[in-house]
Amino acid sequence: MKRAGAAFVVLALLAMPAAWIAPTPGFAVESAAGRKDPARAITSQLICPCSCGEILSGCTCDTGKAMQGFVTDALKSGKGKDQIVASLVAKYGEVIRGAPKAEGFNLIVWIAPFVATAIGFLIAAFVLRRWVGRRRVAVQGPGRTVGGGLIGAPTTADQDLARLRARAEAELKRMGE
Amino acid sequence: MSEIGRLALILGFACSCYAVLSIAWGLRTGMAGPLKSGRRAVWIVCGLTLLATIILERALVARDFSYRYVAEHTSLDLPPYYAATSLWAGQEGSLLLWLLILSSYGAAFLWCYRKRFDPFYDAVAMVVATVMIFFTGLLTFVCSPFRILATPPADGNGLNPLLQDPGMMIHPPILYTGYVGFIIPFAFGIAVLLMNRTGTRWIEEVRRWTLFNWMFLGFGVLLGARWAYIELGWGGYWGWDPVENASLMPWLVGTAFLHSVMIEQRRGMLKTWNVVLIVLTFELSIFGTFLTRSGVLTSVHSFAESDIGPWFLGFILISSTAATALILYRKVLLESENRMDAVVSREGSFLFNNVLFVALTFATFLGTTFPVISEAVTGEKISVSAPFFNRVNVPIALALLLLTGIGPVLSWKRATASVLKRNFVIPSIVGLLATLTGIPFGLHGVYPIVCVAGAAFVLATIAMEFARGIQARKDAEPAASPVAMIHLVQKNKRRYGGYIVHLGVVMIFVGVLGSSVFQKEAHAPLKPGESLAIGSYTLTLQGVDQKQIKNAMQTRAAVEVSQGGKALQLMHPSKAFYSKSQQPMTEVALRPTPAEDLYLILGGVNDDGSASIQAYINPLVSLVWLGGIVMVFGTLIALSDRMRLKREEKLLG
Repeated sequence: MKRAGAAFVVLALLAMPAAWIAPTPGFAVESAAGRKDPARAITSQLICPCSCGEILSGCTCDTGKAMQGFVTDALKSGKGKDQIVASLVAKYGEVIRGAPKAEGFNLIVWIAPFVATAIGFLIAAFVLRRWVGRRRVAVQGPGRTVGGGLIGAPTTADQDLARLRARAEAELKRMGE
Repeated sequence: MSEIGRLALILGFACSCYAVLSIAWGLRTGMAGPLKSGRRAVWIVCGLTLLATIILERALVARDFSYRYVAEHTSLDLPPYYAATSLWAGQEGSLLLWLLILSSYGAAFLWCYRKRFDPFYDAVAMVVATVMIFFTGLLTFVCSPFRILATPPADGNGLNPLLQDPGMMIHPPILYTGYVGFIIPFAFGIAVLLMNRTGTRWIEEVRRWTLFNWMFLGFGVLLGARWAYIELGWGGYWGWDPVENASLMPWLVGTAFLHSVMIEQRRGMLKTWNVVLIVLTFELSIFGTFLTRSGVLTSVHSFAESDIGPWFLGFILISSTAATALILYRKVLLESENRMDAVVSREGSFLFNNVLFVALTFATFLGTTFPVISEAVTGEKISVSAPFFNRVNVPIALALLLLTGIGPVLSWKRATASVLKRNFVIPSIVGLLATLTGIPFGLHGVYPIVCVAGAAFVLATIAMEFARGIQARKDAEPAASPVAMIHLVQKNKRRYGGYIVHLGVVMIFVGVLGSSVFQKEAHAPLKPGESLAIGSYTLTLQGVDQKQIKNAMQTRAAVEVSQGGKALQLMHPSKAFYSKSQQPMTEVALRPTPAEDLYLILGGVNDDGSASIQAYINPLVSLVWLGGIVMVFGTLIALSDRMRLKREEKLLG
C-alpha cells in the first residue's frame, strides 16, 4: 500500500499536464456548435476588439458582429485558421487572442499553475511522509519494531496498547521479583 | 438631510476609532469598562450606518437630484424599485452597502456572544472595528455618497441598463453578504493570534460563520451567473470575467478552509494552514472589491470603475502584512498537536484537496492579473480570458471532482485495504459504465469523459453512504426508507448536509458539461415567414414590432417555436434602446425545460427588414441552477446542526 500511495501522488502529478496537452481542448472551449462551425471555432478563441471585453463568438455588439462576419468571409475565401488569426493579430495586436501565445514571458501564465500544483502536491506528500514517518519512529520501542506503511501505520490505539502492555509486563516482572 | 447623512458617517468613523482604542485599552488593562464601552461603540456604528443608508435611500426613491449620487444613477423615468436598488449601482452607494453589512456583522457577532464575558470576543470585535475604520474613513474622506450639487439637474443620468434587471436587485446584496461576512472568520483568526488562544472551540465558531458566508457568496456567484445568462445575451453564464473571478477566488479558498478545518477539529492539525486560509479568504474578498472598483482590468463590470483602487490596495498590503507577521510571531501556538497516521486517510485526501483548491485559486488569480503584469514587463497588451481558464482550470477542477468522491468515504486516521475495496469498487464500476454509456451518445474528449466518470463515481459514493446509513437506521428502528433517511440526516446533519452539498456540486459539473459540450447554435437573418432549424426545433419569424417600455424603446421579434410540426410557443427576443444612456440592451427569450433551454437573441434588424436571430440550445443548464439550490439546502442542513448542539449545551447546563 506504500507503493499505492506513492503511485497516487505520482499519477496526480502527471495527470494534470497530461490533461493539459490532451488533444481535446477544454469543454467550454469547443462545444458541439464549435465543432460543426469552423468560424465559431476561431471566434471562440478571440476577444472582441471593442472595449466590451467579451469572447468574439458570443459578442452581440456591432464591432463583434462585423468581426464574426469577417472570419466567416475569410473562411469562405479559403483562408486557414492560422492565417485568419495572424491577420487579426497583425491588425489589432496580441490583445485580440483570448489566451496569450505560450511563448516568451507569457509562457509563465501557462506553466506556473501546473508547476505550483505540482509543488503543492510534492510539499503535501513530503509533509505527510514526514508526519507519518515521525509517528512510526515514536511508537518503536527498544528492540521492537511496530510495522507500518502508507496505510498500515500504527494508530493512537496501537500506541496506547503497546504502552499498557509494556507497563503490565514491567509490573508483572516487579511482582515476580 | 444630506448633512445628517454625512454627520452619521463622520460619527461612525469616530466611533470605529473609539471602539478599537477602547477595546485595546480594556484588553491591555483587564478593565471591563472600556471593553463594554468599545462593544457599545460597534453597535452605534451599525446604527449610524443604517441611518446614513436610510437617508440615501430616501433621496434615491424621491429622486432628489441635489445629491450627486442620485443624479448620476437615477432618473425620473426609472421605475421606483430600480431607484431603490441603485444604492449599489455606483461606487459610493456600494461602499455604503459594504459598510452597512460589515457593521451589521459586527452587531450580529456581539449579539450572538452577548452572554460570553470573555475578552477573546472583545478582541474579535476590535478587529471588526479596525476594518470599519477603513470603510467609514473612505466614505467620509474619499468618496462620500452625500455630495451635493450646487445646481441640481432637472433629471438624472439614469441607471445603467445592465443593472435594470430583477437579478441585479438581489445579486449584489447576497454576494456582499458573503464577501463581507468573511470579516468574522478573519477577525477570529487574528484574535486567536493576538490573545494567544489555544483550544479548538473557536474553530467550531469560525466554521459556522464561514459556512454561512460561503453559502451566501456561492449563491451570489450563481445569481451573477444567472444574471449574465439572461442579461448579457451571449448564450453562456460564465465568461471568466475578472470580476467573476474575483468573487470565485474567496469562495474557493473558503471551501478549502471548510475542509481543512475538519482536520483541525478532529486531530488538532493544520492550525497554521487554517489561519493562512482564513486570512487569504478575507484578503481575496477585499481584492475582489479592489478589482471591481479600481478598473485596472477590462470587465463587463467596468461601470463600477473609480479611483479608490489604491486605497484598497494599500489596505490589502497593510492587513496582509500585519496578519503574516502575527502568524510568524505566534507560530509556536499554531503547532500541530498530532501527527498523521497514514497518507491514505481522510486527512490525506483533504490535504490534497486543499492543494487543488489553492492551485485553482492561484491559476485564477494569475490569469486574472497577468494582463497587467505582462504589460508592465513586456509593454504589450494581452488578454487572458475564457480560452486560457478553460484549458488551465478545468483539469484542476476535474481532479477536485474526483476527490469529492474519494475524501468523504476514507476513514479518519487510516484507510485499510478493505475499506478502500468496500467504498470504491462499486463507484469505480458505476463511473466506468456511465462513461461507456455516454460514448455512443456523443461523449468524447478527455475532459468530458473524466467529468462524466467523476460525476458518476461521486454520485455512487454519495448514494452508497446514504444507503448504508439508511440500512443502519432501519436495523436500529424499523421504518420506511424515506423516514429512515430523514432520521439519518437529522442524526448527523453536518455529515449528510455535506453529502447534499457534494450532490449539488456534481449537478453543477454535469450542467456545465452538458451546456458547453452539447450546446447547439444556429443563426440567420430571417424575414417574416422564414424559418431557422436548430436541434428538433423550427423557429419561424412572425414579425418585428417596436414599442416604448418604461424608459426604453423596445424592438421585439415574434418567433414561433415548433417541434415536429406542432407549434409550442411564441417567443419574443428583443433589443431595448435606453435613451438616457444611449445604450442598446439585448433581452433574451428563454424557453427553459429540465432537459434543455432554448435561448433566442435578437441581434438586430437589418436594412432589408430581416431580423438577425441567434439561437442556442443549452442542454442540462437547469442542473447548474438546481445544483446551486441543492448546495444551499445542504449548507442549511449542515448549519442547523449547531441548533441541536446548542439545545444539548443548554440541557447540560
